[in-house]
Amino acid sequence: MREFMTGNHAVAHAVRLCRTPLIAAYPITPQTPIYEKLSEWEASGVIKGIMMRTESEHSAMASCIAASLTGVRTFTATSSQGLALMHEMLHFAAGCRVPVVMANVNRLLSAPWGFWADQLDSLSQRDTGWIQLYCENGQEALDSVIQAYKVAEQVYLPVMISLEAFFVSHFMEPMEIPDQEAVDGFLPPMNLPHRFDMEKPGFLVPVVPSELYRKYRHMAQTAMDSVKEVAVRVDQEFKEGFGRSYGIVESVMMEDAEIIIVTAGSITSTARVAVRALREQGHRSGLLKIRYFRPFPREAVQQALRGKKKIAVIDRNNSIGGGGIFCQELRAAMVHSSDHPLIYSYVAGIGGTDVTPEVIQKIALDAIHRTGPVDESIWIME
Amino acid sequence: MKVYTESFELVIPISYESTEVIETGKWGFQKPETAFMTAPCEEACPAGNPIATFIYLIGEGKFGKALEAVLKENPFPGVCGRVCFHPCESGCNRNQYDETVSINVLERYVFDATVDQSPKLHPALNSDPKRIAVVGAGPAGLSCAYFLALLGHKVTVFEARQEPGGVLRWGIPEYRLPKSVLKKEIGRILGLGIEMKTGVVVGKQFPIESLNQFDAVFLSPGAGVSLPLGVGGEGLTRVWRGTDFLNRINLGEKIRAGGKIIVIGGGNTAMDVARSARRLGSAVTIAYRRTKKEMPAVTDEVEEAEQEGVRFEVLVQPVEIRLLKNRKIRIKFQRMKLRKTSREERARPIPIKGSFVILEADRLITAVGEGVDLSWIPQDLREKGFIKSVHSLETKGRRIYAGGDAIDQQRSVVTAICSGKRAAISIDLSFRGQDPEEVFTKIRAGSKEGLSMEAYLKGRERGIWEEPKGVVVYDQLNTLFFKPSERVRTGRIDAGKTLKGFSEVHTGLSSEGARLSALRCFSCGTCNYCYNCYFFCPEGIVSFDPVDQTRKVDLDHCKGCGTCSRACPRHVIEMRLIS
Repeated sequence: MREFMTGNHAVAHAVRLCRTPLIAAYPITPQTPIYEKLSEWEASGVIKGIMMRTESEHSAMASCIAASLTGVRTFTATSSQGLALMHEMLHFAAGCRVPVVMANVNRLLSAPWGFWADQLDSLSQRDTGWIQLYCENGQEALDSVIQAYKVAEQVYLPVMISLEAFFVSHFMEPMEIPDQEAVDGFLPPMNLPHRFDMEKPGFLVPVVPSELYRKYRHMAQTAMDSVKEVAVRVDQEFKEGFGRSYGIVESVMMEDAEIIIVTAGSITSTARVAVRALREQGHRSGLLKIRYFRPFPREAVQQALRGKKKIAVIDRNNSIGGGGIFCQELRAAMVHSSDHPLIYSYVAGIGGTDVTPEVIQKIALDAIHRTGPVDESIWIME
Repeated sequence: MKVYTESFELVIPISYESTEVIETGKWGFQKPETAFMTAPCEEACPAGNPIATFIYLIGEGKFGKALEAVLKENPFPGVCGRVCFHPCESGCNRNQYDETVSINVLERYVFDATVDQSPKLHPALNSDPKRIAVVGAGPAGLSCAYFLALLGHKVTVFEARQEPGGVLRWGIPEYRLPKSVLKKEIGRILGLGIEMKTGVVVGKQFPIESLNQFDAVFLSPGAGVSLPLGVGGEGLTRVWRGTDFLNRINLGEKIRAGGKIIVIGGGNTAMDVARSARRLGSAVTIAYRRTKKEMPAVTDEVEEAEQEGVRFEVLVQPVEIRLLKNRKIRIKFQRMKLRKTSREERARPIPIKGSFVILEADRLITAVGEGVDLSWIPQDLREKGFIKSVHSLETKGRRIYAGGDAIDQQRSVVTAICSGKRAAISIDLSFRGQDPEEVFTKIRAGSKEGLSMEAYLKGRERGIWEEPKGVVVYDQLNTLFFKPSERVRTGRIDAGKTLKGFSEVHTGLSSEGARLSALRCFSCGTCNYCYNCYFFCPEGIVSFDPVDQTRKVDLDHCKGCGTCSRACPRHVIEMRLIS
């Protein structure tokens, strides 16, 4: 069914289609429409599960972890400060290996206060052990939630799906809502191999000696590594069922490109227009979209950028003292490349500022004209 | 402890073993101690009533147990629940929160709800029982006899009247204290095997010297003689004495009191006389030399007298009574004014020169106080119109003790019970050769007059008395766990029926009223199994059995965080440093 709706409502539809029986959340702008839609559906009986209106995001995540350990699918949604408050529990979720799925609407972190798009909130949580992926638009957000459950329930790691404030969360677009039957066919009921059992009481998170701790962390790392393969397979299966796929990275007009723009999230769709315009002006440009950030798709990125000379990474985020975060990760992935490409870091769109096709063209031209390396991130201040 | 690391189970860090082996209790430097404390109401009660305990039991619907608890300290819950001036309610910590708990009427409820029950009382084992004579079967004498019997002694009570009860029987009118209630309570006391000799006047039929055959004597003859006004015309037949009037009513005499009556006095007897006279159909005016505020009568009594149509003529003092030709009497009153001096507690009435009030009436009843008949008391035991006794209630006579209204102390039923209990303990200690004052400091309920018989018995059994428990002050309560509620008041018979006879005016509490009223009690210092410590303990090591009334803490696993102590609304738990 095709419907004109916002990215937030697309996420809610995905949760409904996945028959998630336990939703625990706390409202926060710009995520609130997800919360409201699910509440509405709980009240009207459209969804059959329980919606827990917890007193904080920290509690919401604690509830999801506990519920997940009883063997049910769980969901929460948050944003910015809410995600920051959840931080401690994010580590617990990953450490307890629960397949919780969360939608995070990327919003700047205070101070100063604001509601606008910025990826720093979720990128600040990059070391918590969560699978992270960044969506370009509402349709991708909807599809990613469905895919996320399937990935999470195979590797026993939680998944955070990020969609930027307003540009994705509130923009309305025509979207395809999959049939329930098709989703049921794609996503079987959750089957956690071990879970809380009344017959066999146990307690979670016991104190362990150093060696055991190391072992658990290593197992989580191994599981995370396997995501790259599982995610590709799930994406492929999704394509077979629904006709859409996204990959863990996506290459656009890369074959002969002399300058590659690298993006994640909503700037990607603008970049698609910009790349075409650049080509019309005679600049052979290409686009690499990074969808999965955790695990970082190192091999896929290396493969996509093989033989390329100039790369411009646009980050709607900045690690103060470090620069654009996607660029940091990309540089690290490319460090052993025999091609030694020049990788420029551009910080643009901070705090929800507009990144228009013209801005992206300017970034490309700036990179084209540069001859030597630049270590620092270049801030776009227009 | 084993953590699973193989196969499926390894993924989630879960353990199926117990952490009990880890003695986390060793980490702490303090431990919670159940410090059952004295509630301020209990401290304020001269009878040492276990108020928090019996109210908890009412709230639980265990009325029989509540009665047993009260009877440990007070043989008269039915009487006190009706006529006590309830100092406990002034002490109630809830006063500082909203309104005091209705302790008095709850005590009455203990009696009312168990009126068909006869709990078995268990006198303590006593290998050397003594014979003790009690003279006067009023509240002091009966209490003394009751506690002596509970201590295992043999008691004989001498009562001059044909029935026991003293002021409870002959002074207090039926509308405040039904005879059936008194009968039930006296029956319970005598059921302990006390010998009751009624109609025996010590000093007449029974020579006072004959008391020497007893190991100890308790004198509690009361104060039954109305004091004279000291005014001309007092001897007229139109002038009655308040105690005689009440006595005749309590005997069941049919009395024609007169159409218009003036009662002189401001104490409880004056109120009883005035309200009784109203019930006999008279118009009544109380004349008092101070104002209503200074009246020694209980405020409730004054208010109820007023509600029943008694008029008050205050700041007047009679100076002359004359019989008129029309058989009425005319009383000339001196107008008074009050002078407050800083040293005196009560304002002093002084005459306003040349200012008089004349009142006419069919009858005058005096109720300006009662004196003690000391005619039969040896001279060396008397002082200033009273029998002289020290705090332990010993007199100058060998093993002769005295209490109640016959000694110089506050006159109330509960004070009389207090002196009966204190004398019983003094007498018991004298046989054991122990200093009563020293023991009193250990068995006091708080720092006031009331003594705990339970504490006395416990120490008596062990041979040593522990230090007394502290009193919970309001600031020690955690009032976050309470919410404001209205005081539950006693029911009353219809206003129209009040003056139709001598039916009891107050009807007490309904079962729901009693429950709600009991649940208002903060239970200061007494665990009422609210489960707060159980719920708040982060270690989950508090266990409860409300049926057996036990509360345990697994100290091997208590880290001494003190949460239970903070979460306890009633200051039952105190943290103690481990030495």
